[in-house]
Amino acid sequence: MSTPDPAAEPTQTYEQAREELADVVRRLEAGGLTLEESLGLWERGEQLAELCQHWLDRARERLAAAAPTDT
Amino acid sequence: MTSPSSPEAPWPVRTVARKVAEWIGRLGEVWVEGQVAQLSRRGSAATVFLTLRDPAADLSVPVTCHRDVADRPGLELTEGARVVVRARPDYYVARGSFSLRATEIRAVGLGELLARIERIRRLLAAEGLFDAVRKRPLPFAPAVVGVITGRDSAAERDVLVTARRRWPAVRFAVHNCAVQGPTAAESVIAGLQRLDADPTVEVIVIARGGGSVEDLLPFSDEGLVRAIAASRTPVVTAVGHETDTTLVDHVADVRAATPTDAAHRVVPEIGEQRRLVDGLRARARHLLAGRLEQQERWLDSVRSRPVLADPTRLLAGRADDVTALRTRATRTVTHRVEVAERDLEHARARVTALSPAATLQRGYAVVQRADGALVRDPAEVGDDERLLVRVAGGRLPVRVDRPTTGEDAQP
Repeated sequence: MSTPDPAAEPTQTYEQAREELADVVRRLEAGGLTLEESLGLWERGEQLAELCQHWLDRARERLAAAAPTDT
Repeated sequence: MTSPSSPEAPWPVRTVARKVAEWIGRLGEVWVEGQVAQLSRRGSAATVFLTLRDPAADLSVPVTCHRDVADRPGLELTEGARVVVRARPDYYVARGSFSLRATEIRAVGLGELLARIERIRRLLAAEGLFDAVRKRPLPFAPAVVGVITGRDSAAERDVLVTARRRWPAVRFAVHNCAVQGPTAAESVIAGLQRLDADPTVEVIVIARGGGSVEDLLPFSDEGLVRAIAASRTPVVTAVGHETDTTLVDHVADVRAATPTDAAHRVVPEIGEQRRLVDGLRARARHLLAGRLEQQERWLDSVRSRPVLADPTRLLAGRADDVTALRTRATRTVTHRVEVAERDLEHARARVTALSPAATLQRGYAVVQRADGALVRDPAEVGDDERLLVRVAGGRLPVRVDRPTTGEDAQP
């Protein structure tokens, strides 16, 4: 599990992060993990959710920046 | 006859003129076809002068005729008209000039004209000049439109005004030329070549208003059709009314019905384009925003799933497990201790039950020799031997004092 570095530009695309997040949630919901494993997965899930949020927020900003000014 | 001429005996001019006139006069009548290039009537003079041109070659001959011949009812002799002339070669001795003296002039019939155009059309069609594959697409919103029209004509105005209204940024390269008469085809060809050579001109419009079949003849000229086919710049034609078809219409990349229609074809309508772009832009934005919202909803739903939203649940189950195990362990150990205690009491009771102390309490005694061995038979001990008697109250040392008789030998 890599340590999250908020300053670094994310190397994963939104789609990659999203897919991995869905996988993390699925594994957490399936259960059958050690405590350490499930905590690790949960932390990773938080990280991925932040990353997805980051991409979506940036997309929003770009959409807002391209808004026509004359209409 | 006159004698041959020599430097010593030259002929007078009149003799030469007369001889040439005689020789030409013997040529007789001919029928000749050509195009009226120039026509001049001098006041009420009896003679009309015209120039008959060969449309396929750059040459012409002067023709003279009596005004009655030129003004014959039904002829309508004009410049540019195709005519068949019955004439006699004539030498006018007073000026030494050659001409054809016409005795009859016939206009080339309309049917004949159309048949000739049809022959040229078939020829050019066979060459593939009218093939659909040759048609080039017109540029979208050209910066410069070449326009070939008559000077100050309605056609010119229609093209310029309509195109400017639709696309205000459009610029024009206008070439004014003759659009009817004998020089029209050449003039249009010259304009076409000039505009085609200009790299800024992106499309060329050839426009002319309606007219008679004869008026529109230059636009079926073989040379002009070939020039349009050779043009690298796309050509739009708008010649005559919608019902008139000239050969340039066949060869043009786009045939417009009218000059106004030509303007519609070459430039887009700015308002329409703006609306189109605005509409596409709005659609793109709407699509993107929708997609973004959908992803945001997905992310929210994932983040609100219990496994992510409430990580303490990960611990909750485990804490219960630990408590339960702990309770089980305590219960088990407690039970084991209680069992051990009960076992101990039983053992203690049994020990007490088996102890000789109770027997001693009832008055029995135990006799032991010095070495601790229990005495079970009087014969085992000797006379005067010291023994130890244990009773309930304690120990009592004694000495054996045995009488001589042995009546007490049995207990």
